[in-house]
Amino acid sequence: MTTIPARLATLAQRSSSPQESRKRVVRLYREWYRSAPEICAIYALPVSPDYVRHAIRQRFEQNRHVLDQRVIDTLLLKGLQEYQETMNSWKQYDHVMGILLTDINKPQKTFLQKFYEGKDEQAVIPAATGV
Amino acid sequence: MSGTSMMTVSPPGMSLRTLLRRSGAQAIPRFTRNLSSESSSVEKKTERAEITVPPVREVTEADVISGAPKELRYRSVRIYQPTRNTMQSGAGKSERWRIDWDTLPGAGRWENPLMGYASSADYMQGTRISFRSKEDAIHFAEKQGWDYYVQQSEPKRIPPKNYAENYVYKPHKLRIARTK
Repeated sequence: MTTIPARLATLAQRSSSPQESRKRVVRLYREWYRSAPEICAIYALPVSPDYVRHAIRQRFEQNRHVLDQRVIDTLLLKGLQEYQETMNSWKQYDHVMGILLTDINKPQKTFLQKFYEGKDEQAVIPAATGV
Repeated sequence: MSGTSMMTVSPPGMSLRTLLRRSGAQAIPRFTRNLSSESSSVEKKTERAEITVPPVREVTEADVISGAPKELRYRSVRIYQPTRNTMQSGAGKSERWRIDWDTLPGAGRWENPLMGYASSADYMQGTRISFRSKEDAIHFAEKQGWDYYVQQSEPKRIPPKNYAENYVYKPHKLRIARTK
C-alpha cells in the first residue's frame, strides 16, 4: 500500500487562548473518534471500534489535568502525529494493539503479589524480570 | 459532537459532574444550583466557566510530554558536585553539577547463575546529567517533576606548601622531604 507522505500532515501551531486549544483538542478527538472503524479495518484488529474509541478516550482523559498552554500544544502536536502515523499505515499491528490500544489503567498489584516478586515498592517496576 | 455520543464512550468511573459538564452547557447551572444553594453570584459565575484559567507557573511541567516512565516519579534524584578525579592532579570537570539516581533498594538486580555477571533492570543506574550550575539542575528536576535533594559540596582546601618548609628545624621529629 502506497501512502502520500504529506497526507494528514500538520504544522506545529501555538494556541492563542485556552478556548482555542480546547477547540483543537475536541477537533482532534473527533478525528480519532470517527476513524475508529477505519483503524480496525486497516490493521485487521480483533477489537471493536467501540474499544478503539474507549482506548483513545482514555488517552485524552489522562491529560485532562494539564493547564499549561505550551504543554497542551505539544500534546496536540504529538496526538496529530500519532493520528497521521496510524491512518497512513505507518505502524505495525503491534504498535497499534500493544501501544496505542493497551489499557493504561493497569490493576494495582496486591501486597502478596508484590511480596512474592520481592519488589514491594512503587519505584521498583523493572522492564525485565531477571532470571 | 452531540452529548449522547460522548456519554457512550466515557469510562464507567467518570464522575457525574464531568459528564454533565461535557454533555451540554444547559446542564451545568441546574447542577450547581442543587449543589450549592448559598453560594454568591460571583462563585456561580466562576463555576459556570467551562475552562479554568490556568495559574501562571514558572516551570513548565515536562513530565507529561517527556514520555518518561511513570515509575520515575517515585524516585528521588541527587544533585551534587562531583569530586576531583584522584588519579589526576587537575581539578577538571569538578565545577559542574550532576543529577543521578540512587540504586534501587534491593531490587532489580540479579546475578547470572552460570557466569556470575551482575545484571540490573534499573534503567537509570548508568544515567547522569551534567549542568553548569546548581540552579540549572534544580530547575530541570522541578520541570520533570522529580523529587530531589541537593548534596552540599565540601569547600576545597589547598594546604599551604613552600620549599623552605623542607629545611625548617623541628626537634624530636624525623625530617621528611615534602616534594609534593
